Amino acid sequence: MAALEIAEPEKLDDAYTMLGTEEGSIRPMGGGTALMLMMKAQLFKPSKLVSLRKIEALTGFSLSVDASHIRIGAMTTFSELEQSPMIAQHLPVVTQTMKTLANVRVRNVATVGGNLAHGDPHLDLPPVWSALGASVRIVGVDGERVVPAEELFLGYYETVLAQGELIADISVPVRPGWRFFYAKVTTRAEHDWPALGLCVGVRAEGEVIADVSLVLSAAVDKPTRLKSAEAALRGVALSDAALAMAADAALAEVHIEGDGRGSAAYKQQLLRVHLGRAIKHVMQGSASA
Amino acid sequence: MSTSRTIQFTLNGRPATADIAANETIVDMLTNRFELRGARESCGQGLCGCCTVTVDGMAVSGCLSLAWFLDGKSVETVEALSKGGVLDPVQEAFIEAGAFQCGFCTPGFIMMVRQLLDAHPDPDEDEVRHYLTGNLCRCSAYPEIMDAVKLAAAKRKRASAA
Amino acid sequence: MSAITPPPFASRSLPRLEAREKVTGRIEYTHHLKLPGMLHGKIFRSTMPHAKIKSIDTTAAAALPGVYQVVTIDDIRKVIPNPYYGPAFHDQPILADGKVRFAGEPVAVVLAFDKKIAEEAAGLITAEYEELPAVFDEIEAMTAKVLVHDELKPAATFADLKYLKGKKGTNIALDYQLRRGDTEAAFARAEHVFEHTFRSQQVMHVPMEPFVSVADWQDGHLTLHTASQGPSFVRIEIARLLGLPENKVRVKVPYLGGGFGGKLYIKLEALVTALSMVAERPVKISLTMDEQFFMVTRHPCHFTIKSGLDASGKIIARHCEVIWNGGAYADIGPRVTQKAGFTSAGPYDIDNVTINSYAVYTNRPPCGALRGFGAPQTAWAYECHTDMIADALKMDRVEFRRKNMLREGRPQASGTPLRDAEIERAMDHVLDRMNWSAPFDRGSGNIKRGRGIGIGFKGITSPTTSVAIVNLNADGSCALYIGTVDMGQGSDTVMAQIAAQVLNLDPASIKVIHPDTDVTPYDMGTLGSRSTFHMGNAVRIAAEDAKQKIEVLARELGLPQGANLPLVDMMKQKYGMQAGNIIGTGTYLADYEKPDAQGQTTKGTPFWGVGAAGAEVEIDIETGAIKVTKLVNVADVGVALNPKAVQQQLSGAGIMQLGFTLTENMVFRDGQLTNGSLADYKIPTLLDMPKSFINEHVPNAYDAHGPFGAKGGGESTTIALSPAIGNAVADALGIRIYDLPITPEAIFRAMQEAKGAPLEEDA
Repeated sequence: MAALEIAEPEKLDDAYTMLGTEEGSIRPMGGGTALMLMMKAQLFKPSKLVSLRKIEALTGFSLSVDASHIRIGAMTTFSELEQSPMIAQHLPVVTQTMKTLANVRVRNVATVGGNLAHGDPHLDLPPVWSALGASVRIVGVDGERVVPAEELFLGYYETVLAQGELIADISVPVRPGWRFFYAKVTTRAEHDWPALGLCVGVRAEGEVIADVSLVLSAAVDKPTRLKSAEAALRGVALSDAALAMAADAALAEVHIEGDGRGSAAYKQQLLRVHLGRAIKHVMQGSASA
Repeated sequence: MSTSRTIQFTLNGRPATADIAANETIVDMLTNRFELRGARESCGQGLCGCCTVTVDGMAVSGCLSLAWFLDGKSVETVEALSKGGVLDPVQEAFIEAGAFQCGFCTPGFIMMVRQLLDAHPDPDEDEVRHYLTGNLCRCSAYPEIMDAVKLAAAKRKRASAA
Repeated sequence: MSAITPPPFASRSLPRLEAREKVTGRIEYTHHLKLPGMLHGKIFRSTMPHAKIKSIDTTAAAALPGVYQVVTIDDIRKVIPNPYYGPAFHDQPILADGKVRFAGEPVAVVLAFDKKIAEEAAGLITAEYEELPAVFDEIEAMTAKVLVHDELKPAATFADLKYLKGKKGTNIALDYQLRRGDTEAAFARAEHVFEHTFRSQQVMHVPMEPFVSVADWQDGHLTLHTASQGPSFVRIEIARLLGLPENKVRVKVPYLGGGFGGKLYIKLEALVTALSMVAERPVKISLTMDEQFFMVTRHPCHFTIKSGLDASGKIIARHCEVIWNGGAYADIGPRVTQKAGFTSAGPYDIDNVTINSYAVYTNRPPCGALRGFGAPQTAWAYECHTDMIADALKMDRVEFRRKNMLREGRPQASGTPLRDAEIERAMDHVLDRMNWSAPFDRGSGNIKRGRGIGIGFKGITSPTTSVAIVNLNADGSCALYIGTVDMGQGSDTVMAQIAAQVLNLDPASIKVIHPDTDVTPYDMGTLGSRSTFHMGNAVRIAAEDAKQKIEVLARELGLPQGANLPLVDMMKQKYGMQAGNIIGTGTYLADYEKPDAQGQTTKGTPFWGVGAAGAEVEIDIETGAIKVTKLVNVADVGVALNPKAVQQQLSGAGIMQLGFTLTENMVFRDGQLTNGSLADYKIPTLLDMPKSFINEHVPNAYDAHGPFGAKGGGESTTIALSPAIGNAVADALGIRIYDLPITPEAIFRAMQEAKGAPLEEDA
């Protein structure tokens, strides 16, 4: 790892100044796990890291007074969410996802904002935030903007964030009547990066899928909403035929690439199988929100 | 802003000072500046747990954390666990269960098991397996490590009851 | 001497002598070693699998502030004129010499006092190559025009590899041949003939303490501190390279953070030696985990096995064609080829056997020994083949094995009779723990369940020597001087137990002096399950020698028989004060007879390693996902001197082999390793451990030649595990997997293939 400088601003404005707006070798740093890996592999040699850990505006998480949404500061660590009874009550899918996300030490330092800004399609939480309908508040020297989580990602390690822009927090709606589940499908070992990540949310009315939210990750270059598959399921009673149609629709609307975790054809099979299983799972109410 | 600085922190209960470079990891600092051997770099990617230390009571991978951020914090390594020849209950349990062979991963496992038992004093098998999946033992003393966790949990319960 | 009477140690699961140092993190590994004035070396590696080096540009690296020196082969040649080394062939240059033979080969080294600066500078080196055609596959390499080495240079260091020549103008480093009976005639009269081909993949040892060596060259003598399993060989080979007598080369080895066969022979030792001579300072190189994939790996193996059977289901002929992909440098591959070739017909009583086993060079990272010396790769073939034959003949899989099993006293394919090898009892023990005769749940819905067994054996490298010294100080305290390396297997503890048993001491009171070739005597190496047997015998002999010397002293002092005077009092009487030593020495060389031209010998192995395994699997037929729900490993270890340590070896070897069976695989694209890190090369974690996992040794076994009936057991449970799982998969699905690892996708593809709807391959 090459020599570098570290700055620790306490105010957002100072961070903007330090980061500048020129693409280059100055990077903001949250928990730093992903950055450290890239720096150690000499894939990335920053001249300066701007640590965000002292900026209070980026910390904390809480339920809104009307209990309609949860604001999560970008510097919130995964462990803080994992151990929160409030999160377990209102966003149980987040608690469920944590159990198999990396390992305890990573969860102790990795942050919600850093994880989103990294843009790696294999990460577990971005599809969950997307499926939940979270929005991301981005701040910068020119003010702030709010982007739906699923629109944050442009492609493989690419996001809409410009140099000098930071994720301030995310707002996650609490959605009564919905049940969510994150299926992490690994193929090379029990504990691995996912070959396929799939977050499924359903609002059921009896046996009928009144509304549905499906976001696929890992097998694609960015977390991707399966819009056609959602359309195929919306308002339909749960049946194997309906699930098969939804799977066909999903396979038609995304481009799956093969890699070390599986060939394209095999991952397509995994998507077909696990889409059906995940929807059945939430319809049966094993996961609730 | 700078490429190096002096940090002051608590190391295994004692005040410590170090002049460190910005690109220096915790495990490098502990090894090179404090001659501590317990945290050791192996996979270099935070996957194997050989470099586990706690910072303000929370386990982190010493190979993926910069020493820079330790200023004002309290760091604990496996070296802190035994005092006056008396071992921590988790260390005792590892010996009694035979939960290691070559010993290279052992301090990391012991540090993680302590945090595991802090969070879940009476963990079930599934909890243990998931909690420790970020620690690798190539000698594969896994069955004995499972035994050691149970044994350590019982020892800690006895100790707190006494 | 202390007056305690130890109980018979066969029942003593004594904790490791060094247990406290391990749990407190204070134990000594080479990993932590620092010497005053020491430089760190960082290796710049080839990006080409096969190429001529046109130029190496080290200017930018050398100009980086803090860099001490950048070293290439030209610098090394000035201090070591013929810089080639290796245990079987002197084929490996200390740094690439005009040519690179695999992607990842060391080309240059940056030296700096600061490790980070060395790393950064290594990233600034560039090389220009002229790419050469390359060969990666072992079958292609057998006949390829592409030659990895233009010239083959046999080393002739080890007795069992003396006849190595290699085949001129080919990539074949060794063709081992065994002929027993008349195989062709037997095939001609066989009622049934079966032929199948199985493949094993390239995998790596992954010791948690990555390879590390420190050399300190001073005034014509060298001290090496190294994480090595074979300090005596390191000394001999480095002394040869430098043209020095052995006493000018000192090799010291503390504890090892795992070895598994990887840290054998010469690894980083030649390089750090050369660097220390060039720089005239101590030099340390510590590999990263990722670099370990370019140091040494396990051979991919391609095994075609053909059997002829008579009408009753007796195997009358077997032909084994085994091809080992040795990578770019032979390392100890020829011994793997020979040792595993020798037992590749399996633990069956077959009168007519032909074995051809080839070590071939390719442009892959080098392959060497890994826990089993090739036996697991051969058993993968012969035990899957066994089930396939039984099924085809509609015979019970267990009874078919019983009918053909090699039994005590019967000659194995090499002519060496089976002796003290509990193959059938190991199998029966597995069957018992598997509840084999009880009804078996075959699964429902999308889950199919199956179960399988495997049996296997291995020969032990021979002839090899171990020497031990037992030193009793004047106060009666005991130190044991041995070259056996404790890399986690617990050899310190077991060797202390053996000495304690003879000398009637508390084993925990014995100090085991770690390998230091200036101090500890010769040992061939900590490898191939040989230490308990060979060094154990040497320690026993040394302790008996010391005991005899005490008796002589007692007579000399005129003590009455049975006086049992403490040693300290005897020494005081003898020397007039607390002074002197009692030194016992022991040398053990196992009985051996060189095989004839047909590979026949009556003494081919000092003992037999025996393992049997059983597995239950659950397969999700919609995805191919596989779970091993139950795993039983049983080994014949003779008498288990330390039952706890034995059990750890059996279960540890089992889980390692589970990784080699299901998840581990070095994946290459055009000769480039694509998954060389633990993020992408998946070794087992706690989550991969089967819910039901049983590891036991055969009770009441005894090896008549071993120390107190013991023999080695560090590899035995690697042998039969893969085929037990492969057979369980076949039992569940009726589909045979021929290639390791058995991944979910491989299973799903095989199922689709069987349905006539093959899954599309990636372009």
